[in-house]
Formats: sequence, structure tokens, C-alpha cells
Amino acid sequence: MDNKIFIVAKREYLERVRSRWFLAVTLLIPFVLTAATLFPMYIASRSGASNAVRHITILDATGVGLGQRVAQSLMTDSSFATVPGDTVAPRVVAVTPAELPAREQAVAAEVRLANHIVGYLVLTDSTVAGKSARYAGRNASTIGDMDKLRSAVRQEVMMARLEREGVRKDVVNDIATNTLRLNSERLTERGRSGSGTAGIFAGISVAILLFMSIVFHGQNVLRGVLEEKSTRVAEVVLSSIKPEALLAGKVIGVGGVGLTQQIAWFAIAAYLMNFLGPLVMRGAARGATAAASAASSNVVSSAFGGISAPVLAVALAFFVIGFTFYAGLYAAAGSMVNSEQEAQQAAVPVIILLMSTWLLVNPVLVNPNNRLAVVLTWLPWSSPIIVPLRMGLTSLSPLTIAGSMVVAILGCVASVWLSARIYRVGMLMYGKKPSFAEVARWIRYA
Amino acid sequence: MSTLAVDIRDVVKRYDQHVAVRDLSLQVPQGSVYGLLGPNGAGKTTTIRMILDIILPDSGTISIFGRSNTERGVLDRVGYLPEERGLYKKMQVRRMLLFLAELKGIRPADANGRIDTWLERFDLSTGDRNWGEAKVDELSRGMQQKVQFIATLLHDPDLVILDEPFSGLDPINSQALKDAVLELKQRGKTVIFSTHVMDNAERMCDSVCIISRGVKVLDGSLAAVRRDAGARNIALALAGGAQNGVGEVLRDRSLVRKVDDSTNYFELELAPGADSQVLLRRLIDAGANIERFELMQPSLHQIFLQRVGATGVETGMSGHG
Repeated sequence: MDNKIFIVAKREYLERVRSRWFLAVTLLIPFVLTAATLFPMYIASRSGASNAVRHITILDATGVGLGQRVAQSLMTDSSFATVPGDTVAPRVVAVTPAELPAREQAVAAEVRLANHIVGYLVLTDSTVAGKSARYAGRNASTIGDMDKLRSAVRQEVMMARLEREGVRKDVVNDIATNTLRLNSERLTERGRSGSGTAGIFAGISVAILLFMSIVFHGQNVLRGVLEEKSTRVAEVVLSSIKPEALLAGKVIGVGGVGLTQQIAWFAIAAYLMNFLGPLVMRGAARGATAAASAASSNVVSSAFGGISAPVLAVALAFFVIGFTFYAGLYAAAGSMVNSEQEAQQAAVPVIILLMSTWLLVNPVLVNPNNRLAVVLTWLPWSSPIIVPLRMGLTSLSPLTIAGSMVVAILGCVASVWLSARIYRVGMLMYGKKPSFAEVARWIRYA
Repeated sequence: MSTLAVDIRDVVKRYDQHVAVRDLSLQVPQGSVYGLLGPNGAGKTTTIRMILDIILPDSGTISIFGRSNTERGVLDRVGYLPEERGLYKKMQVRRMLLFLAELKGIRPADANGRIDTWLERFDLSTGDRNWGEAKVDELSRGMQQKVQFIATLLHDPDLVILDEPFSGLDPINSQALKDAVLELKQRGKTVIFSTHVMDNAERMCDSVCIISRGVKVLDGSLAAVRRDAGARNIALALAGGAQNGVGEVLRDRSLVRKVDDSTNYFELELAPGADSQVLLRRLIDAGANIERFELMQPSLHQIFLQRVGATGVETGMSGHG
């Protein structure tokens, strides 16, 4: 009997791993996930101010030399990407309010014709009063550039006013250049453990992969059961092997495929993140200060580095448990029905269980230690996703992890026992979809 | 009783609404071709599934070659062709056959050689094309039927169970199946097949069992069944009609229950307990000029109709034979 379970599992495993779909999904998903993580980072690194901010003309109609101050501020700011050898500074033109409209037209024409000037900035009395300044240029919709310009003007206006009020110049400088950054670090009972953002990344990645795998391979079990039933091959197979053994072999085989895929996903994603991540970030941050570049690539590599060995081991263990739990229910659903459409209906209760867990991932993410998170940790249908997620976000005692695992395993036993009974009868029942009462009878009689 | 391939004792199987099989006992001698006959819904498939331990009887015992059918390894000696046939459509033919053989305890190395032999025998592996390397759903329906036979026989079972084997078969595959059954019998294997087509059963079976509404109506060797069912009818042709004392003999109610008289041709029904040979002797003694005296054995079809009747096919009884 045990040998026959192995034969069935072997068939399920090999037939699936051999398919092109398996290869495509296994290789593609980590790329997509990595891209989904890296792309926003890349965009973020790109959205800093570009050098174009320096290729502008400043029309200064303030009469107090604000244009010169802004130009200087833009040149001394080291926080945005510089192109080596590019030393162009903003051109400052002092004008009177009266001649401003004419000069503005001339500069606008220049911007349209010449490549070396990107746009022009108009500073007026209103600017000095801290109300408004005007900019027109080809990069007007580049958020990073506009932010940089705005903050440069704002800072210089503030400094000018502070100076006018008699504050010492070095104090003004000190106040104005204060750029506060919030560095977050996760504290657990066992001490500091990497950056907070890295933990969230790791937690979400693990939760997504677990959820996707359970749904994907659970559906595979359902489809496999339905295939055997609808092609009627089940009866031939059942003349050689007990239904429970067939079910067990199928779940083990498909679960093995899922486990293989999980391990491949983690391995590929970790490799991509550690190897490709810094590469992408370095390319993006070319020219940025060394410190900023190093900081950003650190965030990336620790995102997957944040998946520590214990988390990975627990995640894989919970994949096995969670998959078995849901695979049993999916198999029961598949054995009850005769067609793909009916199967989708029969699987609705299973999907509701899964989706309810998935929808609660976000609240747990926001506060991994609230009551909801604790409750979900002890429910067998949600713990396989929630426990690895919480492990990435907060610290769980080994006792909690082990306890939730035991509860989940008990849930598994119940699910498999129930589905084996439904499966035993359902596999040979053709005709109309059974009612709830009928299924309940199957469970009692089987 | 080691000479029994299958021994079913007092088996009962109830479903929610009805009793599918009621106190069924039947014995299938080893080496015989055994027909399980009955109208649709009689309990044939339920019985077969219980023999194969696919479903469990509510009570009673079933043994195969003297061992309980729930014992480990017993069913590895059985080959089964279900009424509703099916294969793994997306699988390569060879891999699928290998899988099914492995489930019956055949080592892959042995199975591979056997698969080659069978594929060649059924023209599925020719010089042009080896269908063993194709996927099942690339095969025509007829070819899939052949693959299904191979799956049934690949592990060289001692007992082969065929449920309605001729339904849906084209004439060529139908003949191939009959040949295969004959060959199995010659090799000492036991074959059980269920059918409601009496012609096939009459030509192929050594023994039969007729069941109706889950109850055994009769069973035994085909010869015994036919003998018991009658041969009470005699066709008699006399040159010159019923002359002399012949008429008197035919009117003897201790010998003849009924006469259908057509001057020179008579159809007689023997009286209960009467011997056809006594009647023949009496007719000769009476000076009858006999052209024909034939014991008309009823066909299985007639026996079936007579014993099961129209009531055997209960209306509203769904599901399988």
C-alpha cells in the first residue's frame, strides 16, 4: 500500500514537473516578483532631481539678489545626480518688474530653440513674501526637479528673511540645511534584527508566495481529481489502489511539485535580489553620493536577506501543512462534481476560507501584534500564511510557532479525514451535483 | 475450495433509497468464462465493484482464489475493464501503461518489455509509427480501446473482469476481445464478464449467473442452466400425420401437457416429470413414421426473458448494471 502511494505520487510529480507550464511558472514568478520589488525602487532612485535643474535661467525681479542665492544653493546641493564634467550653473538675469514680461518672452523663445537651457524660473516680490514663484520649462512635469527647485527657493527665501531679522548667518545655514531622515530599526526580544522595511518585504514576499502556491497547487489537486473522475480513469486506478491511498499519493505528489517550486522561487529570488538588486540600484544611482548608493542597495539586499533560515524553514513547513489542509478540501470538492463549472462552485467555500485569510493579511501587516493577528495565528486555515508573515514582522516565541503548527496539523488531519470520506464515495458518483445533505450522508456512510 | 476463482457469500449492499445487491452468493470456477447477466440496474456493476474492493459490501464476504479480496496483493492478480472506460488523456501511452502496471506490482523493467509486445500485437507499434510514444488523446477511439485492453491484461492477471466489454466496440476490436478471452481461457485464466447481450454470453460462457433487482435468479454451467430451464419442448414431424395409435400417445396427459397440431408438424410440451425418451419409444411402438424428433433447448435469451421477464427492469432504477 505504501509503495502504491509512492507510485501515484511519483506519477503526479513527474507528469507536472515535465510540463512546460511548470518550467515557465517556476522561472517567471521570481522574475516578476523581483521586478515588482526593484522597479519602484529604481523609479524612486530616479525620481531625485536631475542635473537639468542647473540648466536654467533665473529671471530675478526681486531686487534683493534672491536669484543669485538660489543659483548658489542649486550648485552646492550634493543630493542630486551630477554628470561628471558638467559644471553649468544657472544663469541669473536681474530685471526690473517693468521689463519682466518682455524678458520672459525672450527667454521662453530661447528655451524652445536652444537645447542647453531647459527652462526659466521667475522670482518676484511675491516670492520674497514667501507666496509664489514661477517656472516654465521642458522638465516642468518632472516631480523630482520641481521639488528640488521649490525647496531651493523656499530655503533661500527663508534664509534671506531670517538674515534680515538679524539671525546670525551660520545659524541660519545650520537651520536651513537640516535634512532629517528617519532610520527605522526593528527591535525584538532577541535584540536588533535588521531594518524594519526589510522585515516587511520579507514577510510580504513569504505571504504572497505561500498564498499563491497554496491556491495554485490546491486548484491543481482539484483539477487532477476531476480529471480522473470525468475521464473515468479513476475506476481502473481504484481497482488497484484504495481511494485513501490514491488521494494521499495525489496530495503528496502535487505538494512535492509545490515544494520544489517554493524552493526554486526562494533560491532564484534571493539570487536575483542579491545579485541584480545592487546592480540595478548602482546603475540608477550613478553619480549620487557613495553613501546614498550604498544605503539604497543595502535596503534591497536585506529585503530578501531578511528571510532568515528559521523563517524559511517555518515557511516551508507551513507550506506543507497549509497545502495539505487546502488540498484535502479541494480534492473533496473535485470528487463531488462532474464538470469544471460545477467544480468552481464546489470550491467556493474553500476559496472563501483562503480569501478571508488573504484579506486579513493587510491588517496584520499594519499591526502584527493585535488581537486579530493572534487569533489568526491559532486558526488552522489562516496560520500557514499568517505565522510566517508575523515572523517576518515581529517576534514570535518558539512556543507560539510550535503550538500554532500543532493546531494546524490537527486541522490537516480533520480536513484529510473528511475529504477522504467524501472522496471515497464521490469518485464513483456520477450524475447531478450532490446536495449538502447527501454529502453529509457520504461522510457518515463511507 | 481452491478451485474457485471468486467466492461471494451472502453479500448485501444498500444505498440510500434501495438495495442494490441482496444476499448474493455466487461461485466462479477457476479457469471458466463466467457471464454475469442481468438487465440494466440489476446490480452487476455494484457486484463487480465489490469483488474489486472498490466499494465495500454492507455484509457478507468475498474471496478471490481462496483469499479475502481485502488482503494485500490479492487484487494484483485481477485485471479490470470497467464499463465506463477512461485513460489519462494527457499522458504518454507508454508512461500511462507503465503506471498502471506498477500499481499492480509489476517492476518497471518487466513492464516495459510487456508493453512493447502488446503494442505490437495490437498494431499500435508498427514500422511507421510507435503510438506508445504518443499522448493518449492523440489516439483514435479504436486505438484508445486497444490501449485500455492492454492496461487490463498487461500484468498477466489470473482473473479478468470485464464490465459490459462489448459496448461501444467496433467490430474489429470486438473480435479482438473475443479472441483475447478465448486465449485467456486456454491459458487457464478465469474471465468474468457482465453483459445484457445474451448472444455474446451464449457463445462465450461456460457458466452464467442471472441477477435481477439485486437478487440472483439462477446460476450454474450454461448446459445445466439450459437443461433446467426446459428442453420441455419437442418438435415432432410425422410422415402421414397422426395415424394408428399415435394420436392416443399424444393425448396421454402423463406424457404430454400441450400439443400444437398442424397435421404433419407438432409442437409438444412435455408433462411435468415426463421423459422425452419414453415419449419417443411410445411413438415408435405406436407405429409412427418419424421424420423429426427434436428437443428444443431454449436459448439463453428465452430463459432470460422467461425468468427475469419485463418486471426485471424496474422503472426508475438508475445507475449501473
